[in-house]
Amino acid sequence: MKTLRYILLAGVMTLAAACEKDNFDGPTAGLSGRIIDADTKLLVEQDIIRGTTIEITEHGYDPVKPQVLVVKTDGTYENSLLFENTYSVKPMRGNFVDVPSQDIQIKGKTVLDFSVTPYLRVQDLRVEKVGNLVVATFKLQQNVAGNVVKIGIYADKDQRVGEPMRLGQKEQDINAPADPNTTYRLEYNPDEFKTQMPLGKEYWFRVGALISIGEAKFNYAAPIKLAI
Amino acid sequence: MKKLFVIFLTGMMFSCQGILDIEPTNKIPAEVLFGDPEGVKIYMANLYYQLPIEDFAYFRAGFNQNGGDPNNGGFSAAMMTEEAMHTEFGDFLGDGDFHWWDQGYKLIRDVNLLIDAIPTLDILEEEKNALTGEGNFIKAFAYFALAKRYGGVPLIKATQKYEGNADALKVPRSTEKETWDYVLELCDVAASNLGTVKGRRANKYTALALKSRAALHAASLAKFGSRAPMSGDAVTQKLVGMEPAAAAAYYAACIQASQAIITDGAYSLFRPNPASPAEAAENYRLLFQNPNDAPDEVILIKGYNLPGANLGHNYDIWYQPAQVANGWPHPGRMNPTLELVDLYESYTNPGQSAPVVTTTDGNVNDYGGYDPAKSYIRFSTPNEIFQNKDARLWGTAVLPGTSWKGNNIVIQAGYVKPDGQAAIRIKDQITVGTNTYYTYGAPSTTMYSGFDTYGGNNTRTGFSFKKFMNQNSPIVPGWNQSTTDWAEFRYAEVLLNLAEAVVESGTGDATAAAKALNDIRRRAGHTVAIPLTVDNVQRERRVELAFENKRFWDLIRRREYHTQFNNRVMHTLLPLQDLRALPATMYIFVRVQVPNSNPRTFEPKSYYRYIPGIGSNGLVQNPQY
Repeated sequence: MKTLRYILLAGVMTLAAACEKDNFDGPTAGLSGRIIDADTKLLVEQDIIRGTTIEITEHGYDPVKPQVLVVKTDGTYENSLLFENTYSVKPMRGNFVDVPSQDIQIKGKTVLDFSVTPYLRVQDLRVEKVGNLVVATFKLQQNVAGNVVKIGIYADKDQRVGEPMRLGQKEQDINAPADPNTTYRLEYNPDEFKTQMPLGKEYWFRVGALISIGEAKFNYAAPIKLAI
Repeated sequence: MKKLFVIFLTGMMFSCQGILDIEPTNKIPAEVLFGDPEGVKIYMANLYYQLPIEDFAYFRAGFNQNGGDPNNGGFSAAMMTEEAMHTEFGDFLGDGDFHWWDQGYKLIRDVNLLIDAIPTLDILEEEKNALTGEGNFIKAFAYFALAKRYGGVPLIKATQKYEGNADALKVPRSTEKETWDYVLELCDVAASNLGTVKGRRANKYTALALKSRAALHAASLAKFGSRAPMSGDAVTQKLVGMEPAAAAAYYAACIQASQAIITDGAYSLFRPNPASPAEAAENYRLLFQNPNDAPDEVILIKGYNLPGANLGHNYDIWYQPAQVANGWPHPGRMNPTLELVDLYESYTNPGQSAPVVTTTDGNVNDYGGYDPAKSYIRFSTPNEIFQNKDARLWGTAVLPGTSWKGNNIVIQAGYVKPDGQAAIRIKDQITVGTNTYYTYGAPSTTMYSGFDTYGGNNTRTGFSFKKFMNQNSPIVPGWNQSTTDWAEFRYAEVLLNLAEAVVESGTGDATAAAKALNDIRRRAGHTVAIPLTVDNVQRERRVELAFENKRFWDLIRRREYHTQFNNRVMHTLLPLQDLRALPATMYIFVRVQVPNSNPRTFEPKSYYRYIPGIGSNGLVQNPQY
């Protein structure tokens, strides 16, 4: 009986010891930051679906698959579960002029902001109710060569509203460079979308514009809450 | 003792000479299999079985989904396009869908082994040529299936031998252009070696039809690639994407292959001159109910001869209307959309899509739901509203109030009460005078096929499914019981390929292309010829080839998926009985968003599938995976 107990004890101890040896530490580091407009110092608004991503590639492995961080709609991002290591970090397929890849040591809670030039800036935005309509007026500042493909005002119940995520919209094709002197005007008719968004409630609206650069994403102004 | 020892040693000398070299009894050596023509036949049957034919057993999990557990909810490829919705699922294309990688390279290895063996076979020279042709056809088919999913892929042109070093077997990806060129080259080898005998195996025209399809695909990728630009390592190494300048040669190849089939005259359209649209609709239905009855049109058939696991398929149980379920618990899954129904022309206005007009103001963009203040057009039957629509609509979809297997198929979403208030998509009844009326058109779930969410068995778009369905026998309520054969290549597709290649490239014989387009329309009961335009060709293609699993690839190759499916919802036609019209029986229709559905968005990265297993095969991954 006593022998059996010793055997059991030895077994348990082996198991306990084995566990300790087998397990690596969990991820302790994290990376977060903001995407900031170099001129205005404002956050650069993003899409949550099909929006800007940041690829981070961990060094020391080959082949290695990059991890993809989705940037939040307000232009901030965070991954709080990374292993301490050196990583190459590069924002990809965004709505701003390409930023080169940078190698950084991620240790503890590392913060990395990107200072960027957005393709387009939506400026002097006013969104207001005029009669039954929601009318948006704004100017566009273009910072790169190319055409503005289209402009639009997008509506949703969710604050993360944008071109790929909306219940209602009013769009206009432009297909020309932005004219800094033009005041663009979009009239959104809530009646058209009342099956999805019944009248008499508050909804989120966001105005955006798309540049004709391959894989470019929309540039937006901040969302606005409005009762219709 | 010494003698014994010598004998023992002598014995040792001989024992190693063969006694231990036992041939495994559970495997057939290549020489034996390929040495016997019957063995070759069995081997070929297996190769054909592996062909990536997107037929009745093709679902998001891949090919031949008719064994093991075939229960995938009946969610078909058509439901990822604007052709149809599922009664319940709102799914959309996922990264893991429609892959064909391991199986593809397995088939390529199997066919390479065959091609290696052909010169050693003791058969006639023409039989060798035929085998060479078939082998190359199968290989072309396999690389076509790989190229359209993954872009440029490793080209394994001959059998690889493992000699202890796995790394030596790793072949990097070729460029997308090299891959497409290789597909067309294989088609040419196949066509020049194959005869013209019709049957269940490839002939010269099968190889040309494949070339026509593949060349059009490649040409479209080159021409329209700029609609969805991509970036990344795979792009810079040209593993995905092609120069626009490459389009011309591919369009020319498509025209050449299509013309070769047409001018030889071995095939033609099935029943090309119907006397009436009703006859055209029935002809069209018959063509798919049994493609064997149309040997003039169908160039390659994949047969489903027997019911049973890995033999039959499940289209009849999944997709026939609920009323004919015959005890099967999950019918009615295929719901053709209002988008598709709108697309069909009206005989009164040739060359234009004819959206279903429901109100006197003719507004077909109003999806705001029933409103008593609106002025709806009243119809005396649930399908009068589709009068004059293209015969193929009637041959493709089961429309409300039409007959199927001797049943009047009841598809009704509700009624408008005499006071003008409507009851829509709720189970309700009302007695007016001495008659009782039911929202779904009949009192019990076995008596209607629309809108009740009961069991997910009733259409939620207002349309049920007819194309490919077996009208002759009742549904057998079990798995893999359908034996309808699949027409993989048919003459109409070749005509449409020609028309598209001519109109997109601006080269080739425009008269012949316009004739090709209008011959197909004539077969569908149209009498007025329409001009050869991009829109006319695409509309014709969509209605003629609907549900043949072509639309998915049309959206991919023309790079239209991300614009067509950008926050996209599908639509439904609600048939309502208008009780305000009593004692007359009248119906009105309301255009709405498909109930309980959400918008769907195509991600541009999905133009290519991800390459599986890059950790071990070391290949360059496709963009954004």
